[in-house]
Amino acid sequence: MTLASTEPRPRHPSLYRLAADGHSLDFHYARCNRCQRLAFPANSPGCPHCGSAMDDAERVTQPGGGTLLEYVTLHVALAPDMAVPAIAGDIRLADGIVEQGVIGVPDEAGLRPGMAVKAVAVFQQDGQSYRCAFVPAQEAIR
Amino acid sequence: MSSWIDGNGGVYVAGIGLHPYQFPNDTPYTHLGLTAVRAALADAGLRFDQVQSAYVGTTSIGMAAGRVMLRHLGSTGLAVTQVENASASGSFAFRQACQEVAGGISDVVLAIGVDKHGDGRRAANKDGLERLSDTATIPAVKFAMMARRYLRERGADIHSLAAVAVKNHGNAARNPFAQFRKPRTLEQVLASPKVVGDLTVQQCCPRGDGAAAVLVVSGQALRRLGLDAGRCVRVLASSANSERDESEYGDGALELVKASARSACEQAAVSPTDLDLLELHDAFSVEELLYSEAIGVCEPGEGAAYLARGSSAINGRCAINASGGLIGMGHPLGPTGIGQIAELTRQLRGEASGRQHERARLGMAHMIGLGSVAIAHVLAAPAR
Repeated sequence: MTLASTEPRPRHPSLYRLAADGHSLDFHYARCNRCQRLAFPANSPGCPHCGSAMDDAERVTQPGGGTLLEYVTLHVALAPDMAVPAIAGDIRLADGIVEQGVIGVPDEAGLRPGMAVKAVAVFQQDGQSYRCAFVPAQEAIR
Repeated sequence: MSSWIDGNGGVYVAGIGLHPYQFPNDTPYTHLGLTAVRAALADAGLRFDQVQSAYVGTTSIGMAAGRVMLRHLGSTGLAVTQVENASASGSFAFRQACQEVAGGISDVVLAIGVDKHGDGRRAANKDGLERLSDTATIPAVKFAMMARRYLRERGADIHSLAAVAVKNHGNAARNPFAQFRKPRTLEQVLASPKVVGDLTVQQCCPRGDGAAAVLVVSGQALRRLGLDAGRCVRVLASSANSERDESEYGDGALELVKASARSACEQAAVSPTDLDLLELHDAFSVEELLYSEAIGVCEPGEGAAYLARGSSAINGRCAINASGGLIGMGHPLGPTGIGQIAELTRQLRGEASGRQHERARLGMAHMIGLGSVAIAHVLAAPAR
């Protein structure tokens, strides 16, 4: 008999996993064999920088976070099952990698372009899964 | 210097026709499309059996919509090709028609855009890659961030964004084919519900249905068929490209627009400041400010001031979105790019009653698709 795992699951397992502290997220990257730069997501079929195939690329896991470049508040639910207001932001995760992420703060008051942000787990109500949100790096430390 | 677009005696728009853009309803797309095609045939003075090939721009109707629709005009055996490229589907259908005529493959080609509001399925959501945000592929979020950056870097305020919608709703109010027919004040635009960031609902294009058709003919056929040369608008340039790695965060779409417009102006041997008319992709108000700078009708950083002093108004220096643009005329996707060509043709003929830009000689239609593909056409008024 196999017991069901009680370990919460990442909503996007190809992108991140829970870090050892049980709160932060580690991101999965792939390092291109040709140009040595990182790709995200790690299962990208081609290097976004040089176009090489990524089949044999080295997998790299690093603490999730980066630099907040821009952000806006969504007043209308533009995706299914989305609660509003919500904040979306563009984050530079690594050299040449900018991704949109959910900003996990209640309003824009404490945000500014150029600030460091850190990826944290937001556990769903059922406790079975978690998703990613970015918060100011200083806030994550508290 | 001769260009491919000068082949076969040159490429001309001989006829235009539209079905008014409208909010989604149960009107079949065949009715929308046939209304536009019949109007274009009548405008050109051509019969359907003289059309050798058709390109159908659509995003949401389904496979092989063209033949299903066009058989009601007669089974003439013409070649039918469906073209999909997001917002730019109609523009690329028109480009295909221009290439076929310039290449001497055909002399009379129909380009039609027709669409019903669909479910917004995107290839970007089917690439097998997960994303950190559920709105990562939603254009409104991307453009709201561009608006925020524009306001910060230019020292502009939200009134600059809203003024785009005021102008374009005003132009649309004078366009019988537009989805919105009411002028809006700055206060109304700003007071309308917020969607995302600083963009209110009246600064965002509506969803809709519609159709637009143009007949593209060669210079050889124009003479042979005895068409009215005084109403045929010449296509001077057609240029298309796709996104490159951005040199600086947020500049990808601008570099895309700049490159396509520059290429089209070079092909047409004109300067952007020579343009009398410019129809562009204003799905969100900030785009008009950004793209008027990127295309070069005004200097970098001058977009908001250009609008504020009336330079982009009808009978200003270069009328931008005299049709009402995507914000006012509507954005049914497949028809939008061909609707731009129809508007330029009407203006360059001097037939845009109620919203005519005087002394219009040169116009550009510029379109982007999901912020990643771009296309530009330059049209010139008939010799008078």
